Amino acid sequence: MTPLLKVSNLVKRFGGIIAVNDVSFEIYKGETLGFIGPNGAGKSTVVNALTGFFPATSGKIELNGVDITHMKPHQRAHMGLARTYQIPRPFPELTALTSVLASSISGKKRINQSFQDAMFDATHYLEFVGLFSKRNILARDLTFYELRMLELARALATTPQLLFIDEVMAGLNPGEAKNAIKMIRKAKEEFGVTVFWIEHVMAVLMEAADRIVAINYGSKLAEGTPDEVVNNDDVIEAYLGRGWREYA
Amino acid sequence: MVEMELKRDRVVIRLGTKKWEWTLEPRYWRNTLLWALFLLIAPAVAYFVSPGLINTMISANIYAAIAMPLALMTIGTGRMNFGPQFYIGVGGYTAALLSIAYGWGPLTTLPFAILMSMIAALIFSPLVIMARGLYYVLLTLLLPLVFLEVTFIYTDIFKGDTGLFGIVPLLDTGNANNNFLIIGYFSTAVMFAYLWFINKVLKSRYGLIMAAINDDEEVAHSIGVNINKVKIIAFVAASTLIGIIGWFYAHYFSSFAGITYLPLTFMLKILLVLMIGGRAQVFGCVVGGYFIAFLEMLMIRFMGPIQPLLFPIILLILLFILPEGLFGLYRKRRYREYLPTIHVRR
Repeated sequence: MTPLLKVSNLVKRFGGIIAVNDVSFEIYKGETLGFIGPNGAGKSTVVNALTGFFPATSGKIELNGVDITHMKPHQRAHMGLARTYQIPRPFPELTALTSVLASSISGKKRINQSFQDAMFDATHYLEFVGLFSKRNILARDLTFYELRMLELARALATTPQLLFIDEVMAGLNPGEAKNAIKMIRKAKEEFGVTVFWIEHVMAVLMEAADRIVAINYGSKLAEGTPDEVVNNDDVIEAYLGRGWREYA
Repeated sequence: MVEMELKRDRVVIRLGTKKWEWTLEPRYWRNTLLWALFLLIAPAVAYFVSPGLINTMISANIYAAIAMPLALMTIGTGRMNFGPQFYIGVGGYTAALLSIAYGWGPLTTLPFAILMSMIAALIFSPLVIMARGLYYVLLTLLLPLVFLEVTFIYTDIFKGDTGLFGIVPLLDTGNANNNFLIIGYFSTAVMFAYLWFINKVLKSRYGLIMAAINDDEEVAHSIGVNINKVKIIAFVAASTLIGIIGWFYAHYFSSFAGITYLPLTFMLKILLVLMIGGRAQVFGCVVGGYFIAFLEMLMIRFMGPIQPLLFPIILLILLFILPEGLFGLYRKRRYREYLPTIHVRR
């Protein structure tokens, strides 16, 4: 089976600091890949490198066998990559509907789509995440949970093949977090997207992810099923510190 | 090839795999038509009452026609340009120099004025990619001032101190009042053309993409907008539209001096048209243009020597008490747009 996204020896340097060091992994169509690591491990840098915001220092990124390493973010979006942000970044002066509409008209190229057709599309995505009743409210006036959902709708409206989700649980209460997870699962089923999920809350990924990749200090620590990864000594050491066995 | 369908409430245009729909909403046309009618009748009335009023109307139309492309540029690039008068200078000097050197009329110089403004805008367009925030403001602020210096240094070409004279006039019927009337209508037509074009652009998919860029460039990039392309197109198109106004000034007054248009005082007036009219809303620019032009005329006529002091004070007070501008007063009561208005943040 050919992977949807293949990352080979990805390196990202900021001056003398190596943020991502020789990371390689593959994502297969239809799976949910969890991506974990302690604070400052380089998780968001990997997402930024994959979506094109930080050009990779070296290494190769392939989407469906096409080399996208040197493509610009908008070209990658047209190829089918979409992302959400750790801290929601809405278009504050646009309403919920027009925020989604903007990504519906500028995402993956769709033939015979007029502005009005895109509006229908946008309402569908907005309804999907449960924000249809808030369609005419400015994004800056939405609550935190609604902003997360708006980001999800905005990412889905570009019709991605691969969706990068950056810490969806941060700042949500347990009820909202549960809804958010349900929504991502539903999106996966309904739109057939593959999900690359960065998360701090291990319990979520244990349940939702098919495979997990763990990194620390920019290097890959472990890869495997959730059970394999959480029982990996290196991963436990990265989270709990070196002397964890003495207290275990 | 291009296919056109007329449906009950819309025109559908297809070209290859692209499709545009143009919704026809006559129920929203009433006010626009009333205002257009008013602006068409006003010069004729002024012609019989006091021909000097037409001159003020022309100024108002032209202020609005400079402010509207500036609004488009501000939204499309996500940056506030503080030197749009640079392109008035480019368009005006191109028209003036060509007209004086070869005796060309306005129709012949127009394409060259457009071309030169476009070239100048293209040369400076990398600014919208490289500079942002305060640096962009400073750079754009300096451009017209540098150009003004150039007109003084090469004074044998640009006649920096006296201005260029002897440009072929826009129109010559032999009667000054008739000239005023016809040019008044022409300026109204130019203003309406700009209003229609820019409003259409802002309400279309391109306007929405521009609004997204204005709100957050990086996010717009991540959802698939080619931000550099959009910003450069918005910058060049708007600058060209402003350059055409320079051409108008040169042929309207038959003379062109950089010192009139390039200094900051002229820019401040345009900025106030933009802000007092209604925070870079295109319809607000028209309201602002007329308000500023007529206020200026009244102040000069009745206030005499204290006018240079009072004019900015009145405008400053208005800026504080009308945060959404004059057009905001109308919008607050009669909100009827299905698409959000595109605000300018920066």
